[in-house]
Amino acid sequence: MRERVSAFWLRLKSLVLRRKLESDLDEELAFHLAMLAEKRGADARRQFGNATNLRERCRDLWTFAFLETLWRDLHYAIRALARTPAFTMVAVVSLALGIGANTAIFSLMDVMLLRPLPVKDPQALVEFVRADADGSQMTNLPYPVYDYFRRDRGSLADVLAIASSSAAFQDQGSSQPAAAHEVSGSFFPSLGVSPLMGRTIGPDDDRAGAANRVAVISYAFWARRFGRDPSILGSAMRRSGERFTIIGIMPPSFFGLDRGAAPDLWVPLATDPDPGEVWVLGRLRPGVSVEGARVQLEPVFRQALESMRGELAEYAERERNSFLSQRLLVNPATEGTSGIRWTYWDHLSTLKTLIGLSGLVLLIACANLANLLMARSAARSREIAIRIALGAGRWRLVRQLLTENLTVSLAGGSLGVLAAGWGHRLLLGFLVRDPSGVALDFELNYRVMTFALMLSAATGLLFGLMPAIRATRADVYGAIRSGTGQKSAWNILLAKGVLAVQIALSMVLLLGAGLFARSLRNLGAADLGLTREHLLLMDVRPAARSPQARQQFWTDLTGRVSALPGVRSMALAGDAVFGNGGWNQTVWIARPGQAPLDTHVSENRVGPGFFATAGIPLLAGREFGEQDRANSPLVALVNRSFARRFFGNENPLGKHFGDRGQASSGRYEIVGVVGDAKYGSVREKPRAMVFHPIEQEPPLDSCVLHVRTVSEPAALVPAIRRETQAIDGDALISDVRTLPQIVRGQLRQDRMFATLASFFALLALALGAIGIYGIVAYRVAQRTSEIGLRMALGAQQRDVLWLVLRETLTVLGAGAIVGIPAALGVARLAKSMLFGLQPSDPLTVVCATAILFGVGTLAGFLPARRAARLAPTLALRSE
Amino acid sequence: MGAADKSGDLVQGTLDMLVLKTLARGAMHGYGITEFIQSTSNDVLRVEEGALYPALHRLELRGLLASEWGVSENNRRAKYYRLTGAGRKQLAAESERWNRMTAAIALVMDTA
Repeated sequence: MRERVSAFWLRLKSLVLRRKLESDLDEELAFHLAMLAEKRGADARRQFGNATNLRERCRDLWTFAFLETLWRDLHYAIRALARTPAFTMVAVVSLALGIGANTAIFSLMDVMLLRPLPVKDPQALVEFVRADADGSQMTNLPYPVYDYFRRDRGSLADVLAIASSSAAFQDQGSSQPAAAHEVSGSFFPSLGVSPLMGRTIGPDDDRAGAANRVAVISYAFWARRFGRDPSILGSAMRRSGERFTIIGIMPPSFFGLDRGAAPDLWVPLATDPDPGEVWVLGRLRPGVSVEGARVQLEPVFRQALESMRGELAEYAERERNSFLSQRLLVNPATEGTSGIRWTYWDHLSTLKTLIGLSGLVLLIACANLANLLMARSAARSREIAIRIALGAGRWRLVRQLLTENLTVSLAGGSLGVLAAGWGHRLLLGFLVRDPSGVALDFELNYRVMTFALMLSAATGLLFGLMPAIRATRADVYGAIRSGTGQKSAWNILLAKGVLAVQIALSMVLLLGAGLFARSLRNLGAADLGLTREHLLLMDVRPAARSPQARQQFWTDLTGRVSALPGVRSMALAGDAVFGNGGWNQTVWIARPGQAPLDTHVSENRVGPGFFATAGIPLLAGREFGEQDRANSPLVALVNRSFARRFFGNENPLGKHFGDRGQASSGRYEIVGVVGDAKYGSVREKPRAMVFHPIEQEPPLDSCVLHVRTVSEPAALVPAIRRETQAIDGDALISDVRTLPQIVRGQLRQDRMFATLASFFALLALALGAIGIYGIVAYRVAQRTSEIGLRMALGAQQRDVLWLVLRETLTVLGAGAIVGIPAALGVARLAKSMLFGLQPSDPLTVVCATAILFGVGTLAGFLPARRAARLAPTLALRSE
Repeated sequence: MGAADKSGDLVQGTLDMLVLKTLARGAMHGYGITEFIQSTSNDVLRVEEGALYPALHRLELRGLLASEWGVSENNRRAKYYRLTGAGRKQLAAESERWNRMTAAIALVMDTA
């Protein structure tokens, strides 16, 4: 053993020190020649022979002996694999899917969590987060916090602020809005990024009185909107009529600080008169720790909150205190703001489920591979035995077989990396609404490559070593003599055990697929409490600034749109009937003889005809109508849950509540009750909701237009756009959507799980079927003479069929006995992701088991039938 | 002698054994080995350089020899080889086999 190790080191050395070895050899030979010349005189050179040949032979010794065997093994492996294309294909493809799925998920994690931002010194970037007493964390900080940090920087070299612009931008001649980030003047200089063209926003641009409003656009937006036309530098974008001059174009690699939401353009923060809440990031001074910065900035943070006490006057005491007692957290932001992590990974279970699914597939592929390899070495036991008899060392043979197995797994791994690129985009498509707007490119970096390589090598070694060692332990004498030569080589019990494990794992996938699919169906068909079909929603924002002009705009819009042919009814609302869920609001409900009850509810402001348009039924009282105007008594509608929760069996009509403190509890009179609907998401539980007439509120600066159409809603969009532009040329229409579209968007993750799990379950079924078929066919071949004997003794075809099938059923049964409890256990972990059914849903369990047994039995039936049809005389003579 | 033909060439396995045996006396350079074998065999066995050096390197690769640079008797830099523990064991095994073999051959030859 030591001999081998030292030889290995010498060879390794020879790879590195090749030149040194050659000069050593030259010197050694020169010495020899000199000695010869000294002793023998002039003819020494001739006597010495062919020196070149000698050198080459020495060199070969050092290097080629090692590489050559490797090359020979590889060559042999590829030839041997090419001889059995079916085996090779099944093994490589199943591994490729297993490794590909895992690599895709890893690369997604890599891009979201591991890769540093492409900016100057990303290690020094930190992100500020506020935390409630109850532990919930938010990245959006009140603007004064940024202001205070900026003035009292202390341990920070720079303070950066980013806000997503509340208003959409537009360029000349396009009605498509562009997404903007408002950034502080320190943003671009601190990140140290240079523009592709023009210049970036500097501190001078970020002043309230800056002469010129400027904008920097992203490369993707430049390409998409302007076709990479360099002459657009200096042209203008508009926001509600205000001009912003484009001063720079960023390179494609720059997406800002949030990989999940790459904006189309950046404008100075100072152009926003009321930024509200902003993301705040900082760059630490050298030598300052994250915790050090937190300790130093915490008092500044408190001061900033304290400075807002005045603005909090209208809040309830409890809310004001909880706001003022928030704490400051500082997170490293080397990989970007954590916004995306909270947006897309908010349920960590998403990631866990993905990892679980792909891990299962890899395990199944590995179990399958191990069985295939064992069967393969069994089939070759004669060849192996002959080679052992001819003097091949066992280590040499194991190495040969292992080379073959590693070739398979590395081929699977390479194919898997290709599949991962595709899988990455697929996953992204499921996770993000608009993948084109997200800078989450699949990049074959060393982390992803190392991951895939290690995974392939590990599977090849782990699951290839055992079969290789088993195979070379063959009983040489028996194997060569016996015709089939497989009896001792394939441990059928072990193979069945591995197959049973594989089937148990498949059971987990099958049940998961069934649960996700049924849950998705439940979600898709869930009763939303409103009519989904032919409901068109769009956000509308007039350029008009004055309340009167806005009021006029809404009135005109209502008139024009309801007059359009194809519109059944329309209504305006402050918030979409479904998708956002309305604003949270504290209300005080008047109770005769008691203090008002204060509670949280959701609130929306809606125009006349809203409930009819949305298809929400009126249960009692009346809807809002022409009589509810700005100067008429304030009224409100509540939903059924509100009425039930606060009034029980009493009639809610005529009761009062308020939203401006205890004293206001008589402010609104409830004039009607509408049915419960889902307002935010398909999954939400019924919640208490109040509605106010839009006319009794100050005119809104933007509304959601709800249109119930006679037929296909999309056909009406151009006409509505035209009417809107006719009233106000600068009005913006954005986020045009139908209800089914919103629902589909919400179910993206559910669809991903259902699709992936189904696909993987199919794969697992196919691999399981191949495994069963292989074992049964082998057993039939092995028992041919026994079967012949039984038939000669009077056994019927049916008996033979049963004899063979019984084994299949045993394996399936063993797999199911382990698999069903395991699957139920795993399914419990996914409980929160299921909708409208329990993880132990009996129908799903029964179906999954039935499918597993059905496919498994079929796979076993084919070879069994062949056995049953054997002619007894033939069968008897087979050995 | 059975292992050397008329021209004095050595069969490889035998050469390895002779080299090991030679080095059992102590470290020596390549030239010294050829000289020693030649003179000890009364000029019957002549070791070809083309065979000797690959053999030395092969033995070193197998861990039977170790090498180091030293200074020769006439003050030149020369590469010296010496036996390792494994080499000593290998020599013992080979000498034993050789003795058995020659004894067996001698028996047959004497009887015939």
